[in-house]
Amino acid sequence: MSPATSAIAISGAGCVLATGWGSAALWQAAQQAQSGISALDSPLLHSRKIPTYGQISAATHQRSLADLAPNLRRYSTPAVVWGVSALQQALNEAQLEPANSPLRFGLYCSQGGYTHPALDAYHELLRECRQAHGLDAVQLSRRVLRDNALNPFLVLTSLSNGLPGVASLNLQLQGECNAFMQGVSGNLAALRTACEALQAGRVDVALVLAAGSELDPLALAKLAHGGAISHNGNAHYQPFDANAQGAIGGDGAVALVLRRQADLPAGPHVTLDALDGHADFARLPLPQAPDVLWCSSRAQPNDDRALCASLRRIAPKQISASQGLTGCLSGAPSLVDVLLARRSLEAQCVPAICGLEQPVANDLPLARQRSTPAVLRRAAVLNRDSNGFSACYHLTYHPLSA
Amino acid sequence: MSRTRIVITGMGAVTGFGFEWPSLWQRMLKGEHCVRPWQPEELSDDSFPVRYAAPVDMQQLPTELAEHPAWHTDLERRTRFGWIAASQAVRDSGLNASALQHAAVLTASGAPQHMLADMRLSLNGDAAPSWQTLFAQRAALHHEGTFRQSNDRLARVIADDFGCCGPVLNISSACAGAAQAIGNALYLLRRGEVQVAVAGGADSVLNLDTLGALYLLGAASSEQRWGADLCRPFDRDRSGLVAGEGGGFLVLETLEHALARGATPYAELLGYGSSLDAYRVTAPEPNGRGAILAMRAALADAQLAPTQIDLVNAHGTSTPLNDATETLAIKQVFAEQQHYQRLRVCANKSQFGHLIAAAGAPELICSALSCRDDRIPPTVNLQHPGEDCDLDYCANQAVDQPVHYALSNSFGFGGLNTALVVGKYVEARL
Repeated sequence: MSPATSAIAISGAGCVLATGWGSAALWQAAQQAQSGISALDSPLLHSRKIPTYGQISAATHQRSLADLAPNLRRYSTPAVVWGVSALQQALNEAQLEPANSPLRFGLYCSQGGYTHPALDAYHELLRECRQAHGLDAVQLSRRVLRDNALNPFLVLTSLSNGLPGVASLNLQLQGECNAFMQGVSGNLAALRTACEALQAGRVDVALVLAAGSELDPLALAKLAHGGAISHNGNAHYQPFDANAQGAIGGDGAVALVLRRQADLPAGPHVTLDALDGHADFARLPLPQAPDVLWCSSRAQPNDDRALCASLRRIAPKQISASQGLTGCLSGAPSLVDVLLARRSLEAQCVPAICGLEQPVANDLPLARQRSTPAVLRRAAVLNRDSNGFSACYHLTYHPLSA
Repeated sequence: MSRTRIVITGMGAVTGFGFEWPSLWQRMLKGEHCVRPWQPEELSDDSFPVRYAAPVDMQQLPTELAEHPAWHTDLERRTRFGWIAASQAVRDSGLNASALQHAAVLTASGAPQHMLADMRLSLNGDAAPSWQTLFAQRAALHHEGTFRQSNDRLARVIADDFGCCGPVLNISSACAGAAQAIGNALYLLRRGEVQVAVAGGADSVLNLDTLGALYLLGAASSEQRWGADLCRPFDRDRSGLVAGEGGGFLVLETLEHALARGATPYAELLGYGSSLDAYRVTAPEPNGRGAILAMRAALADAQLAPTQIDLVNAHGTSTPLNDATETLAIKQVFAEQQHYQRLRVCANKSQFGHLIAAAGAPELICSALSCRDDRIPPTVNLQHPGEDCDLDYCANQAVDQPVHYALSNSFGFGGLNTALVVGKYVEARL
């Protein structure tokens, strides 16, 4: 098969999310409809308006750190640490070691919130340099530039391309690269670029990596102000629920290893087929009657009802959603759904929508209460960003393909 | 089967030289630079250690651009410069609205500008900075500040302004960003996903937050003995980057599309390559490994032999490490027949500073113009080449010679490397 016509298979996946470390933990949480969203725990944040968050636990963060070379930790934001760990997991599953492989690797990243330097990094300096009507910029400048009053590695951790930089260092990746920063559409861009590089034959292995964190006062205030997350004291993320109170933020990273299906040994494969996106949801090419649809929800009943009108046209056999498990991710909103769609195809099982009690539409097959075994051949992922951009991905299960 | 040819049919550049590329090009060929004394507007005491930069001079804003919505919309500087540059490029291309309807937009725009301003909102009298104070003032958060929403803002304003409904991509690859945006546009066009793409970048680091960070990294020069002649790529006395600001955009089209509407290409975009150093976050691999990989990938993509290249438009940051390593890498890539001895190398940053995320775009414009005009702008302030810098850098004086093919380098922090190859436009390419 020539590269130009090769189907693209997902040969490895990894994640660090509120559900824990690894895709097994995510899948277990999905099957049990057990949310990773918990009380927001931060020394700088105490808010009754935003009481919960899809936060990475200290134990999960520590486990992730083990995958990052010690000399790189000082350069890495938490999101970069999670990203590197997710990528290592994905490579382990794919049984690949870039440093010892003759294959050509490409790295395609999508980065979430741009929140470093975080407010807490400046906390003491802001306190020191405050004045009656704001900030004494001269004093702040003197303290930072002359007295080195900031953590010297703060600037390096602030680099907007820290994710590909550190990931490439950690794994000795020297091939082609891309780094996008644009939410759901960034995930789509990274996936499409990766698939295109494989199909053009420029690389043999495409590593798609997405990570982000919004757990910073500035970020949360901005997201709440913009309506992307709720600030009404809502403690539960309830996708497609008639009593939902809005979205809850979440952190994390997801990585996928993509290969040309023709290059893989015989066996069951999940392939990534069509990848589409559009700023106008009405013009987005939608799948027809997939066996399972993973669809993002803002957990705003009226918004979800409007979305359901489109879902009826798609006529999926079952619908599930991930946001109740992880929160609304800035860095990897689509990749987590692609990961779950793959797992549901491999397991032939559709997890219930975590948090769903009273569906906004009773005529749609919104998965409720428990995981359901099913014969699944085609899955689809449908995501919408808070800025209106939508993306759709089609996956196919090949049980015996070579 | 022959490959789809991609040509440059429109260009726009905003730099310290002004708001359009013809004057930029004329002044560069004269050997001018636009670096001058500079201090961030946030400071009133003249204490900022970086003393020189190449800012955009708003006094030079042409009357016909004064009413552009970029100046009348609440945007960051980088977004304004990028929007203007993209508008100039589109106007330059002569494309009409219907041709732009299906165009792709690919941008790169560096760091957000309003971080400190937003942080100030967490202050409340004598109390410590707090989330509660910040949240209470959330309505005052700068709507362009702090987040990725602002990072991809430039892509959105361009797409909205011109009604482009094709793919909209925003790259975040530090100083390789604009070159990667242009390279990705090349791929999109070749694949036939679109017939037209508007690609480039914009950036402004001339503020306390970002240039302060570059200074702390040891990247920005605080040297004073050379005055405004501070940016000295490949010189023995080079001491760090000198920041500029602005943006550059190119309109790229399939040749078929360009010819069908009667456009005259400036040059042909032939190749793109990228690589990762996997060495250190802030220093290039000392043997130039990543730069070599990127240049070779771009040459292979362009289907050219190294000996066919006449000009390398170097990344040439005026930092001790980059310029020596890049020289080494060029000598490796162009080792065949010792072609590096005949090769011309120039560093545009000596003339308009380092535009950081946007750098690759105006530099590719210059490379394209070199191909069109057979003229190479000089590397200014190069008085005494460093011991480790022994190529022909077109020191201080423009060079007139045939330029059939040029390669333009852009390397970013974190070890992200990009090279683009551009060629003189000829009707039939053998």
